[in-house]
Amino acid sequence: MEIKAYSRITADKMVVNGSTVYSSSDGENINLTDLYRHLGIDYPKFFKMDNLCKAGFLGAETIIRDAGMDTVTPKKDCDIVLFNSTSSLDDDIAYNNTIEDDANYFPSPSVFVYTLANIVTGEIAIRNKIMGESSFYVLKEFSSSIIYSVVKETAQETSANAVLCGWADFLNNTPDVLLMLLQRTGDGKIQFTAENINKLYR
Amino acid sequence: MEQLILELKKQIIEVLNLEDVKPEDIDSQAPLFGEGLGLDSIDALELIVLMEKNYGIKLGDPAQGKEIFKSVETMAEYIEANRKK
Repeated sequence: MEIKAYSRITADKMVVNGSTVYSSSDGENINLTDLYRHLGIDYPKFFKMDNLCKAGFLGAETIIRDAGMDTVTPKKDCDIVLFNSTSSLDDDIAYNNTIEDDANYFPSPSVFVYTLANIVTGEIAIRNKIMGESSFYVLKEFSSSIIYSVVKETAQETSANAVLCGWADFLNNTPDVLLMLLQRTGDGKIQFTAENINKLYR
Repeated sequence: MEQLILELKKQIIEVLNLEDVKPEDIDSQAPLFGEGLGLDSIDALELIVLMEKNYGIKLGDPAQGKEIFKSVETMAEYIEANRKK
């Protein structure tokens, strides 16, 4: 498969297909709501998402639109396979903050529903009507070789024509996202290999 | 009552993360669910928490929610009659 498009979101910027599309100002960490507004997206559900979903959603939104895929057509031949190392810890902490004080014990249902890492795959699938295989793996650390082998195996099993895959992580106010849109046939510029995944991530 | 309705609208916007909505955009008598603000089941649970946290009201019977959460106005009327803080 080939990497048709990719996006990278780090602490201070977003890069899409090698071009910086947004940078945070004066050394601050990137604000995902500011990035959302900068990208001109209109999807009110975004504001209800936890940080991990926001980061994954923005990474996916840019490359899926860039590839000319719409939000209306059901996509049965597209898979989503994502990975990270902190699972939903950022939201787990936020939820814990709503229950740790006995005198102020008000568990938040809207925070609780995001205390699973794979919710981000669902949010992306719902937005884009992606109806193929959907999976999320929690690894000890970023590993281009594991990402490569798992995604390759998944695509072989499902015979998907496209796969949205990569790394989606968020902790301590810091996004760490590398999303790639793979297609079976493309312009052949970037082959989907462990080495290339590593190059795009570093 | 007008003051409570405005206060409620601000709280709803905050707890439900209705980022692009202003208090004046919310019709006090419009349905909160389905049409109107288009809230969902998780939002309903969040409104129950809001009533308990800010006004000390615990809903004993969840079925009551259907009537109470019809609109901001019906919420305000219920809070006015049952608030403990």
